[in-house]
Amino acid sequence: MNKLRFYFFHLMPYPHIPPASEIQSTWVSLSNKYYDPHRGHSLYTEYLDQLAAAEQFGFDAIAVNEHHANFYGTMPSPNIIAAMLVQRTKEIPIGIIGNAIPLHGNPLRVAEEIAMLDVISGGRIISGFVRGIGCEYFNNGIAPADSLARFNEAHDLILKAWTDDGPFTWQGEHFYVPNVNPIPRPIQQPHPPIWIPGQGSLETLQFIAEHKYTYMMVFSPLWFTKMAFDGLREECHRLGYDAPKSMFNACVPTYVAETDEQAHREAKAHLSWVFNTGLKIPDQFFFPPGYMSTKSFRNFIGLLQKGKVKPQVNLTYDELIADRYIIVGSPETVKNELGHYCDEVGAGGMIGPGSPYGPMPNWMVMKHMQIVSEEVMPEFREADGLPDYQRAEPNSQRSRAELAAVKGKPAETARSRVTGGGDRLIEHRLAHVAEVIDPTMEHAQ
Amino acid sequence: MSYIDVVEKIDVPRPHKHYTEPHFEEVLGLPIAYRREGAGEATVLFHGAGFTRMWLPFYAMLAEKLDFVAPECPGFGETPLPQWVRGFNDLAILYDQLFEQLGLSHIHLIGFSMGGWAAAEFASFYPRRLKSLSLITPVGLRLEDDPGVDIFQLSPAEVMDRLFKDKDVMREWLPDGEDFDEGIHMYSEFSAAARLMWAPRYNLKLEHRLQRLTCPTQVIGAEEDRLVPNAMSDKFAAVLPNCRLIRIAGTGHEPLLERPRELAALLTVFIEEATP
Repeated sequence: MNKLRFYFFHLMPYPHIPPASEIQSTWVSLSNKYYDPHRGHSLYTEYLDQLAAAEQFGFDAIAVNEHHANFYGTMPSPNIIAAMLVQRTKEIPIGIIGNAIPLHGNPLRVAEEIAMLDVISGGRIISGFVRGIGCEYFNNGIAPADSLARFNEAHDLILKAWTDDGPFTWQGEHFYVPNVNPIPRPIQQPHPPIWIPGQGSLETLQFIAEHKYTYMMVFSPLWFTKMAFDGLREECHRLGYDAPKSMFNACVPTYVAETDEQAHREAKAHLSWVFNTGLKIPDQFFFPPGYMSTKSFRNFIGLLQKGKVKPQVNLTYDELIADRYIIVGSPETVKNELGHYCDEVGAGGMIGPGSPYGPMPNWMVMKHMQIVSEEVMPEFREADGLPDYQRAEPNSQRSRAELAAVKGKPAETARSRVTGGGDRLIEHRLAHVAEVIDPTMEHAQ
Repeated sequence: MSYIDVVEKIDVPRPHKHYTEPHFEEVLGLPIAYRREGAGEATVLFHGAGFTRMWLPFYAMLAEKLDFVAPECPGFGETPLPQWVRGFNDLAILYDQLFEQLGLSHIHLIGFSMGGWAAAEFASFYPRRLKSLSLITPVGLRLEDDPGVDIFQLSPAEVMDRLFKDKDVMREWLPDGEDFDEGIHMYSEFSAAARLMWAPRYNLKLEHRLQRLTCPTQVIGAEEDRLVPNAMSDKFAAVLPNCRLIRIAGTGHEPLLERPRELAALLTVFIEEATP
């Protein structure tokens, strides 16, 4: 197994908006009049190309996520993007990290879409589940106070839909489905790997420990990520198992260029944009009432007041670097930094190195990907340089021949009565063959 | 707390001014906090989404001539919010039961702001309990042309600014910015408000159900309400049978705090006149 996995993650921002100083927020209240669909077309095209290219560069997975009514990440429906990536890539796992499951009227829709993607991709889907950030609730009729309870119930429903034979009835507090029987079912058994992005709340850590899911810490300073990872390890330990490193993914925007100076020169504006403009969100949008339990809110505000967590919008570039929110430098510097970071927090994967940030131009993103894949990744890989998934058997057969060889004939196959065949059920694949329909028929020699 | 699932009750802070110990009445397993003073016609007030836990000067003025009861809505003040309480219809059931247990068979009902919505809902379910209904800058109907600002998109400072016309009064009632526990408690009360009102911000059925009322009704609007459009009181007045509309000059959304004496006098006279 490799020392560290590299996940290529795209937010698909729309950067053609006024500077942070001129707007209240990049979310909720900034009018969509700033969105020019023609520029959007060109951006989506570029972003999809970047994601598809990540397979050739050798990343461990490519990943997308769901956000609404904002310019920081323009993927209100990440499954649509994932569907395109399934078609544009061959082997690389595709993460949707994640679907905001409390926001959907019927969570079964997510179970169905992920299963479709998993089947079509040959078992390459990583399924993330999130509550959606507070802002998401403003373009929705779901009360933020119901968010956590709906998340938990939607999760239980989706998992049962994937793992139990249907049909069954779902009788929940928030969802009622008379007949749960999703078709298709996912390829990966018992279900696609599940990632839970989070901000380190105890409730999230306990949930992940209980289900043995993969945790993904969102943008945070190193000390905070470490605290959360330690907390998760402790929860797992309490439940009687040692958490493997693969359970821990850190989200650290990392930029690499030819030299340290060049890297800072190129990264500063774009990485700062992500935090200072992309995440310019007033508190009342970020924590709509009820989004956090009173207890969690109390803890969070307590940390804020002690000066331990600074609102992201106020972080200077130097603070971002100093607190290891981000890592920037030459390949040598970044190899060292990543090594230390991962040793310190115990991360098995990084969402960041090689990825695009904010308004970064396409050429710079491509240069960054190339440098990371050629000059950083090999340091953390076994001698063959492969991502782990390429050393494992694929999750599904790659050809008709392989399918036939491995699985033989299906247990059930289409059979019907056909004209001339009497009462016998004839297999459809043979139903055009006269002597199969009527075995008494003489061969016309 | 028996069989119901009550949201964890962390210690509720006590405001420095006007705090009084409430009574508690256990209703369907939920301890509802309420304050009651005075003698006369039984009169109940449903509060708005804040300024809880206090015996406001305005309450004392009403208690001068009335048997005045101010319960605290689930999720507000010292009444916990059970998981099953999700809407105003749940509140109506709880309040009906509360009144039964307190022996308040016939009451004059006053509702302010969010409490105006609660009062309108209660009235629509139990019209025969009411001797009169007074709604003060209420919410709860659909304003098709302009729904007004989204209160949940406002910062706490913007909310306060929009609540009051008289900024001297506002400063008097501003929460202490340094008071950590009070800040957290306000978030918790707003969370309860959001559970009740996030979506939709109206009940279309009220327009039909309120037709059942036979008691005298009045709507008291503000002269310049910057939180809820004045059209809301106009619409309530149009929907409610036997209704009069009054606007108090010189106030914003909070006449209870801005014009307590004037408002209390208005209500007391109305209640006396509505008493058979």
